[in-house]
Amino acid sequence: NIDPELLLPKLPSPDELKPFPTTCAVVFRGHEGRVRSVSVDPQGTFLASGGDDGHVRIWELLTGRQVWNVRLSDEDAVDTVRWRPGKDASVLAAAAGEHIYLIVPFSILSPDIEQSSRDILDAGWGYAASKPSATTNGAPAKEPPARWSRPSTRLESKGVLVQTTVRSTVKVVHWHRRGEYFATVSPRGQSSAVAIHTLSKHLTQLPFRRLKGLAQSAQFHPSKPVFFVATKNSIRSYDLSRQELVKILQPGAKWISSFDVHPGGDNLIVGTYDKRLLWHDLDLSTKPYKTLRYHKEAIRAVRFHQGGLPLFADASDDGSLQIFHGKVVGDLMENATIVPLKVLRGHQVKSRLGVMDMDWHPREPWCVSAGADGTCRLWS
Amino acid sequence: WTGSELKLEMEAEEVVDLIKALFAESDYRRKAIGAIRRATLRRYALSSLVNSLLHTKKPIPFEFLINGQFLRTSIDEFLTQNGISAESTLNVEYTRALIPPLHVASFEHDDWVSAVDVLSQTSPAGVWSGEHGIQSGQEQILTASYDGLLRVWNLSGDAIAISTPPYNSGRITSLKTAKWLSNKKIVAAGLDNVVRVYKYDEDTRAITQSLELYNHRWGVEDVAVHGPTNRILSASTDATISLFSATAKDSPAAPSTLLPTSTTASNKRQKLSKPEKSVPTRGALTTLSGHTAPASNVIFKPEDATVAYSASHDHTLRTWDLPTSTCVDTRTTSHSLLSLTALPKLNLLATGTSARHITLIDPRASATQIAVMTLRGHLNAVVSLDTNPNSEYGLVSASHDGTCRIWDVRSVKPNAGAMVDGGQVGESVYVVEREGMGGKSKASGDGVKVFGVRWDADVGIVSTGEDKRVQINRGVGERGGG
Ligand SMILES: [Mg+2]
Repeated sequence: NIDPELLLPKLPSPDELKPFPTTCAVVFRGHEGRVRSVSVDPQGTFLASGGDDGHVRIWELLTGRQVWNVRLSDEDAVDTVRWRPGKDASVLAAAAGEHIYLIVPFSILSPDIEQSSRDILDAGWGYAASKPSATTNGAPAKEPPARWSRPSTRLESKGVLVQTTVRSTVKVVHWHRRGEYFATVSPRGQSSAVAIHTLSKHLTQLPFRRLKGLAQSAQFHPSKPVFFVATKNSIRSYDLSRQELVKILQPGAKWISSFDVHPGGDNLIVGTYDKRLLWHDLDLSTKPYKTLRYHKEAIRAVRFHQGGLPLFADASDDGSLQIFHGKVVGDLMENATIVPLKVLRGHQVKSRLGVMDMDWHPREPWCVSAGADGTCRLWS
Repeated sequence: WTGSELKLEMEAEEVVDLIKALFAESDYRRKAIGAIRRATLRRYALSSLVNSLLHTKKPIPFEFLINGQFLRTSIDEFLTQNGISAESTLNVEYTRALIPPLHVASFEHDDWVSAVDVLSQTSPAGVWSGEHGIQSGQEQILTASYDGLLRVWNLSGDAIAISTPPYNSGRITSLKTAKWLSNKKIVAAGLDNVVRVYKYDEDTRAITQSLELYNHRWGVEDVAVHGPTNRILSASTDATISLFSATAKDSPAAPSTLLPTSTTASNKRQKLSKPEKSVPTRGALTTLSGHTAPASNVIFKPEDATVAYSASHDHTLRTWDLPTSTCVDTRTTSHSLLSLTALPKLNLLATGTSARHITLIDPRASATQIAVMTLRGHLNAVVSLDTNPNSEYGLVSASHDGTCRIWDVRSVKPNAGAMVDGGQVGESVYVVEREGMGGKSKASGDGVKVFGVRWDADVGIVSTGEDKRVQINRGVGERGGG
């Protein structure tokens, strides 16, 4: 008579898995209405946020001091803000409506970093004019996938230097690790839902003309030329160099809200509006290796720590974030160790919306969250 | 038995014999002897005993140290908690008790106050300014604010001088740090990356910029100054430490790529806001590189200005030899380090962490332990530290939890268990809340964060914060407290 419990691998206790975030260290106040997106800059010094008030704001991460802001739109919410990777330049991408704005917040930058950031954004001006698209060869000119233009003088004076306009509202921006490409997702954009933009050429391409299902999110593989696209029910990975489909993951979800690829590239987490968090091992199966059901409401964001700590987290409309230990082992035959560590509570639920987005600090076991209650929070 | 130190290296019965020899029979003697025999003496009873033994006119509150730790319980409980047998010999010392630092005054600002420094007869800059530098009762308080302005206050709460914001081509001007270099010179820096030297004229109530020092690519979090050599150290988010001279003629040219006039866009903005009189610009004498994340704090080694210590978000505390610009020692801890001060008589450095505690580190090469002691009690990041000017064992900390805490490293928590980095665990002696916030200190620091603190022997504990105030606390009946 063997107790079946004894056959299960023993999970380490949370106390043995420190450090991880446990308490709210800073509340960021200033947005009017929901905060929809947060992003910590590559240095780990500043927090960028965007929300229903149409503003992008930048804050000192450790004090909660607002150091910069701009109103991008009177009508549209800022749905997403994402810092460009890399420390030699400081560029923030923000999307409001069908516009993606590229921002150099010069008032918090040294002149040399301002200059290198401007150079990166300025390189592409005139490229489209000098090299007309091959598809217009002889045929009547098609509407381009995106228009790259200079924003208004008001925005330019704040450091908003490039405006890229696509065909419908952008909900997701994801940078390639080298900062030369970024992908955007416009769920209602049909054939133009997923776009890949080349910064140095001010060029926009639409790699997926016939996407099956409503696009939800998209992401570059952390090291290989592979691109992931999530629709409502599945996640497809494509080999960008061969331009072919590699794999279709079936999380078994009713509606995927977000996903994130592990920095090692072989594992992936998925959050769903039907309250589930799923872990996929890309080597194992197209079905999830683990399904975690801890939240009472929809999960809106999932994110791996990118700085070498075995942590991941999700953000939910129940007003909480859940922190997990997620250790990936090199051995192909061994599965990842997943341990729930901590529920972070503090955000108020407003009109059934709780935590809209989250991000990790680039080095430390700290995370930030965007609340429907109008605050951002740093957890450490 | 000496006037300042009472060492009782004897058994209880020997103390009883001594008391019998020294004091005539009385109710008081009977009670004291009874308490000693029952080992139920607490601090207060011991304090009364020592006061009567010393024949003090006015009772002085005393603290008692047994084998180097504060007595917080009865002697009996102390012995039990520390596993000391009742037969062993105790080393008992008494010391004047820290007095609760009560609120004396608060001076209101227009914006968050990030840092404070004090000019008094006993402050470093006061001492460097010589005997005519500053008169007793004429102490001055310097504050740096997120509104970009420096203010000098007298103790009546008048802002006797306010600086003008710098011309920096439309960049943020928020200040993070300011120090008196002498009674006539101020050094300040902040989020625009520039370290600025100011002339301060008390008669004309003017703070005038005299030098701009460029070397940093990201904001400056802290500066340290050394009057006799006219040197400035700065710690920056760009992960470097710079060594500057406060005098233009001793300094090299500023790196051109860091000047506001260096780029087209920046230059255009600078022309739109041209200053009436230009300020000389210079560069650093040396750059100290090695930290891999923002440097938060830097200090000169007390009594040896050729050595510097720096604390960084990269979890390390580094020792620098300034003449050769080399890092001679690196101590790696488990957390981001956000503040730093020295306890020179104990050969210790105290560093405040993002993980809500203070770590005491022996920076000497011979030290093998990472941490000698950990001071626990704050509920949020510890962002500023200063040393008790009246006690080599004391320090004050400022935290984002909305409090300052007073510590004595001899106040040890019994049975606290080992820390990650090793060493004993200490607990605070007093907690100073923000005045006027109704005791609303909170873990999240929402609205109450304290950013800076200085402890001056003449003025007291001076702290600044998100409440837009500089606050002075002092032990009642004593200047400076403690
Ligand atoms: Mg595997």
